[in-house]
Amino acid sequence: MPQKKSAPDVLLLFLTFSLLAIGLIMVYSASAVWAEYKFHDPFFFAKRQLLFAGVGVVAMFFIMNVDYWVWRDWAKVLLIICFVLLVLVLIPGVGMVRNGSRSWIGVGAFSIQPSEFMKLAMIAFLAKYLSERQKTITSFKQGLLPSLALVFSAFGMIMLQPDLGTGTVMVGTCIAMIFVAGARISHFVGLGMVGLAGFAALVLSAPYRIKRITSFLNPWEDPLGSGFQIIQSLYAIGPGGLLGLGLGQSRQKFFYLPEPQTDFIFAILAEELGFIGGSLVILLFSLLLWRGVRIAFGAPDLYGSFLAVGIIAMVAIQVMINIGVVTGLMPVTGITLPFLSYGGSSLTLMLMAIGVLLNISKHARY
Amino acid sequence: MRVSNVTVRKRLAIVLFIGVLIFAIIDIRLGYVQLILGDVLAQKAKDSWSRNIPFEPKRGEILDRNGVPLATNMSAPTVYVMPRQVENPADTAKKLAEALNMSVEEVYQYITKQTLIVRIPQGRKISNEKAKEIRSLDLKGVYIAEDTKRYYPFGSYLSHVLGFTGIDNQGLTGLELYYDKELKGQKGSVEFYSDAKGKRMPNLADHYTPPTDGLNLKLTIDSRIQTIVERELDIAEATYHPDGMIAIAMDPNTGEILAMSSRPTFDPANYRNVPAEIYNRNLPVWSTYEPGSTFKIITLAAALEEKKVNLLKDHFYDPGYVKVAGATLRCWKKGGHGSETFLEVVQNSCNPGFVELGERLGKEKLFNYIKSFGFGAKTGIDLQGEGTGILFDTKRVGPVELATTAFGQGVSVTPIQQVAAVAATINGGILYTPYIAKEWVDPETGEVISRNTPKAKRRVISEETSKQVRFALESVVAQGTGKGAFVEGYRVGGKTGTAQKAQGGRYLKDNYIVSFIGFAPADDPKLVVYVAVDHPKGTVQFGGVVAAPIVGKIMEDSLRALGVKPRNGQLEKERAWNDPKMVEVPDLEGLTKKDLQEQLFNLKLDVSGDGEVVIDQAPKAGVKVEEGSTIRILLGPKASDDTSRNQ
Repeated sequence: MPQKKSAPDVLLLFLTFSLLAIGLIMVYSASAVWAEYKFHDPFFFAKRQLLFAGVGVVAMFFIMNVDYWVWRDWAKVLLIICFVLLVLVLIPGVGMVRNGSRSWIGVGAFSIQPSEFMKLAMIAFLAKYLSERQKTITSFKQGLLPSLALVFSAFGMIMLQPDLGTGTVMVGTCIAMIFVAGARISHFVGLGMVGLAGFAALVLSAPYRIKRITSFLNPWEDPLGSGFQIIQSLYAIGPGGLLGLGLGQSRQKFFYLPEPQTDFIFAILAEELGFIGGSLVILLFSLLLWRGVRIAFGAPDLYGSFLAVGIIAMVAIQVMINIGVVTGLMPVTGITLPFLSYGGSSLTLMLMAIGVLLNISKHARY
Repeated sequence: MRVSNVTVRKRLAIVLFIGVLIFAIIDIRLGYVQLILGDVLAQKAKDSWSRNIPFEPKRGEILDRNGVPLATNMSAPTVYVMPRQVENPADTAKKLAEALNMSVEEVYQYITKQTLIVRIPQGRKISNEKAKEIRSLDLKGVYIAEDTKRYYPFGSYLSHVLGFTGIDNQGLTGLELYYDKELKGQKGSVEFYSDAKGKRMPNLADHYTPPTDGLNLKLTIDSRIQTIVERELDIAEATYHPDGMIAIAMDPNTGEILAMSSRPTFDPANYRNVPAEIYNRNLPVWSTYEPGSTFKIITLAAALEEKKVNLLKDHFYDPGYVKVAGATLRCWKKGGHGSETFLEVVQNSCNPGFVELGERLGKEKLFNYIKSFGFGAKTGIDLQGEGTGILFDTKRVGPVELATTAFGQGVSVTPIQQVAAVAATINGGILYTPYIAKEWVDPETGEVISRNTPKAKRRVISEETSKQVRFALESVVAQGTGKGAFVEGYRVGGKTGTAQKAQGGRYLKDNYIVSFIGFAPADDPKLVVYVAVDHPKGTVQFGGVVAAPIVGKIMEDSLRALGVKPRNGQLEKERAWNDPKMVEVPDLEGLTKKDLQEQLFNLKLDVSGDGEVVIDQAPKAGVKVEEGSTIRILLGPKASDDTSRNQ
């Protein structure tokens, strides 16, 4: 099956490093005040992020050289392991609670989020599953339903933690993959209606939920509660204007925006670098999306194509949700901005996923 | 292009398209937030970053018409604590507690509060010495801010009019409340940008908005006259131990209040120890009561204006009572005044005579004049808590009500209404709105920002009628019931009043408000003075006996203070058998001792100084004094003899 290899997608590599560099600078800028306050070391978060980036880049290059079919062979095993971890993480004493969710497993700095791994395992498995049954995907019962059942059972497990952000990204990614694989549009429309009905039922059964969901539309209704983060985020973005306050000049990072180096790093970026800087980052992600879809186009087989589209969809959806939240387009869910947000497992996993994509690009023919 | 599946390729293109579309939407949203909502959000964000430290403005001073300060400010620093800047709360609490004489625990609670600025109540408006002491402790996060405390240099003087302020220098009563907005000025502040933990943010400049001090208020009050009034009320209070007293002095030609006082009074610095009804009621404008005979001036003015009476030619016979619709109304004098002219009716304050005048006018006309003179409505004076008074409803006025109203019973009026109305009867016929705020002055430049000018409400009677009223009232003082107010040379006119106090619809026994309203000089009135004494003890309760002399003294000293020249052509005072004979003081200045001995005096001499020649005398030549009075003379050397000066 393997054909002769070519060079990896250099533009993809360049985009990744660009985002990584911007991320490192912004993590330092956004976290310095906090780091100084908490650890008396303004570089505390930046140094660690640099370390994570180093580990991630090494892992990325390593994986870039691992032919991607390996993931097809291991997909089933990885998926099962992830399911087991998702069960284990729910057990008090094994799983650790951070920020109200029991999402972490392991000891101290060596703890991981099983749901993050599940995203990747699910992509690998679904790529394999769909490429093997591409003919039956147009059938609701034999193609669509089993894949959706698998995806939603994983989603259900993740929601028990709960981790709505990761769960949503995973479901969005899988739906993109199923869509690309050729599922019928009518099925999507039908499922969409069922989904809407279910959503309506949930809201009707507990009307307070609607308020939670719509509070992002007018955060000033509850400025110290549900609206707090979004207001603080808008207070960062708004004053940024066209050109921004200048690198390092953020006001909101002075304890107004909670943990500005993680989920809301884009707000600080937009505050310091303005609409120009924010747009540049969105452009970089758009180009990344383009390169990813292009690799899916050129992949030597359906498996590679689905795997590539899964990886790039995951990155893109996470970016969309994160920036959507930060700019007040979506309710707060709590996911990181790929390559930019501070956080070891998020960054290394993202870089590893790009490694897979780079490997596929090596085999691609356009 | 190894994936040849057409559907997959199509779907990939759709995914790319949708993805880029969503990115575009997000970017548009970003632009909307940054470029369109940007200014609004920036302002809101600034508000959330900024912290204000207030700077108190200086409250405007209150001055009398000549610039004598009546209410000023005293420096009284206030301690502020910024809890987040306090480095060692336990130590700070201990030191601060000692300085402020508080318990350490209490101070600790204050300085660890989760707010930007804390003001410890015991640390407000402290003395300068205390402030210095705290400043020298050099505690982090503890600040001393300049603050002021209201200070009334004259104590209880004019206290009801001035009112007082609370701990935040806000007006609580009197002018302090009425003109609080103008007096208090506008707060200033230092605005600095703070991080969410209360520390100053770097790279953002502080913004100082200076406070705008309040304007100084110059009153129409003349402190010289006020002093005289306060003195006379103090003397009367000591003499008669009344339940209360009221005094108003006004310029009849403008409505400017020159003095206003009442008893019981209070010291604004001590208002907490005084019952609220004392400091809240400014009796000269608040109280309403039956005016009694002073109200007859209104009936008189109305009858003259309507030409219903000729004071000198018309005669009246007073048998001591008058029957009206079956009711018998008595004159205050048992047996009556007999046959008299209407001028004598006024002089004698003869009730049946005024009933006659009331009947000649009829109820419509009389009540129209009463209202036209401003009764039954607030005068509009710029003071808190003015009363309205009560008049009979014209529709329900029968002959009895008409009769009693004509001599001042059965109506209820305020002192200020009476002063304004009587001023209108003698100033040429124009009713003015009384007022007390004269000018607003910029405290920095001394420039007058705005000025209140006399407000004439309406002409009520003619110039000619007013002249007749002045003549009649001057004769009341010279020859009638108001003799106690007579002042040699100053042509005082006026009218006594004695009203029985009513409570719960019944008259109280032996309980009167005795009053006198006077004006002078009668040819060109410069001053109206009203004094009412509520239930004087140990005396005959007649206005002519109690109130008239007080008005006389106030009048004499005040006119002199105002520089009003004594007049000629005064109506001569009719002497009662016990009235002292008045003699004119001769000019003694320049006479030698020997000359003095040759003079034949019915006056005593109080000699002081060494020398041969009279160099000064008091009173001056030409002043009329009682026979047997003492003249003080100062002897000195002859003007040319310098050597003897050093003896």
